[in-house]
Amino acid sequence: MLKVFGFVRRHPRLRHDEYRAAHVGYHNSFGRRLRNIRGYVLNVRSNEALEERIGPLASRLTRDEPAAFDALWDGWGQLMFDSLEDYLAARTPTPDRAGPEGLEVDPKVASVGGDGAHLYAGSPFQFHVSEHVLLPVRRPERKLFKLVQFAKRHPSMPMEAFRAYWTGRYAAHVLSWTGLRGLVVNFRTDLDVLTGFFEPDADAFTPEGSALRQGFYESFDGIAEFWFDDPGQFVAARSDPERSEKLDALERELFASVFYREVDETIAVLPNRGPTPAHYRR
Amino acid sequence: MFKLWSFSRRNVAQLEYDAYRAGHVGHHASMLRRLKGLRGYCVDLRADTLLQQRLGPLHQDISFGEPVAFPELWDGLSTLYFDSPERAAQAAVPEPTRATADGLSADADWHCDDGPHLFDAAGWGMGMPPHRPVEEHVLLPVVRPERKLTKLLQFFRRHPTQPEATFRSVLLDRYARLTASMSVLQGYVVNFEHRAQTPASLGLPTAASTAAPSSDGWASWDGVCELYVDSLGDFAIARVDLALHPELCVLERHLFEALWYAEVDENVIVMPNRDPAPDFYYR
Repeated sequence: MLKVFGFVRRHPRLRHDEYRAAHVGYHNSFGRRLRNIRGYVLNVRSNEALEERIGPLASRLTRDEPAAFDALWDGWGQLMFDSLEDYLAARTPTPDRAGPEGLEVDPKVASVGGDGAHLYAGSPFQFHVSEHVLLPVRRPERKLFKLVQFAKRHPSMPMEAFRAYWTGRYAAHVLSWTGLRGLVVNFRTDLDVLTGFFEPDADAFTPEGSALRQGFYESFDGIAEFWFDDPGQFVAARSDPERSEKLDALERELFASVFYREVDETIAVLPNRGPTPAHYRR
Repeated sequence: MFKLWSFSRRNVAQLEYDAYRAGHVGHHASMLRRLKGLRGYCVDLRADTLLQQRLGPLHQDISFGEPVAFPELWDGLSTLYFDSPERAAQAAVPEPTRATADGLSADADWHCDDGPHLFDAAGWGMGMPPHRPVEEHVLLPVVRPERKLTKLLQFFRRHPTQPEATFRSVLLDRYARLTASMSVLQGYVVNFEHRAQTPASLGLPTAASTAAPSSDGWASWDGVCELYVDSLGDFAIARVDLALHPELCVLERHLFEALWYAEVDENVIVMPNRDPAPDFYYR
């Protein structure tokens, strides 16, 4: 599947919880109607600092976190399509509103509700990721503890080896953790997912927008998603003395920097990795 | 949680089935997912599966008394979850969830005026199906992978020789527990319709219509079980297991006057969250 991340900063007019309501509420209601969308997950940065959730482990696991990282994002959407062609055609409205003449097109879907200028500060930092599903997530009917690991490659490690180690040896350790409900590692690629998706005059294409985006990308080379029932499971797993020592050593070898965030996950469209249905489905 | 059901039939004069499907899951559900205090929302659309053919002789064993032309009575089932009837009664109050030049505002365009075009006006009065409270018993909590599960609805009607209390007791304590032991199940929920509670008695919005559907078919069941499996084949193999099948068959003939199945395509509009609501806007 084609998976695209879009990190967004809220409009300065909105407080974090206001941004959250607007993104999860109005905006997602249009985003979920994008043509041929196969999955749409929104991750909003948690209101609580990670230290409050996992205690001193948060600072122990953090190494060389970039300064003011959170000033660059409040949430990120994950869009999934079958192909780049489907992604680029996503804003072409599909008839999905019943009206007096039968099924009609809703023009507001083309602009995803048309609220972007009031919801975001600039264009999303939108990029394609190559994902490695190491433990397919299975979601219960309650909110999970979703933890995200941002990491940057150690300069001594070639990129291919870095990816192989993270999704191989490192992931093998993680997969032994009790309570882990899902593990996906994502690497940003250079595939252009901006041209043809955003308007030509979008902030994403200005020198300032491009520089800001590139600066954000400097913070990490990969993003891992972990799902647990509760923070205690992660704390217990990552604090285990024997396994912890091995992971710490691997992280020093693999990562130039590593840091974590908790996000609140909204399932706007439950990802469907199975065959494409022959009918409209979300 | 407080669970509401609404069976609906499409406006057959205006919409083919796949058009109805897009209209319900697309615009309509996208509007309703912003209902205030909503804790979960799924839309199940009747699949075109011919269970009789797909299940073969098993179908004859496990299905009996299905009302004539039952599939023609409905096209979809919506399930809404709230914390309480009181919260459900406030669901239509607009919330500020739209970013505008003036900050966060209520969306002036938030309405479901597509209802009369989407749903069957003859059966449902003003074109909006009534939502009815159901009492649910989660025998096996649903866990959803990132792919489509096969979902079966098992409609049942109590056998008249069974007193209500005995019926519920045997169904939940014996029949449902035995069914839940099928290892292929990814979720199993038993639901009884709240006959004593009506939308009006709970203070729920009734402006559209609270009229019972006109067809006798709707009066023909007392409850519905939801079964989630990877595939129909998995269900069939598990159901004929000799350790289960004979006893389940005996119990079914003992408990039910009628019992029949329908496959549905589930659309998760808002993932149900059975934990306490967070103190921020969450769907």
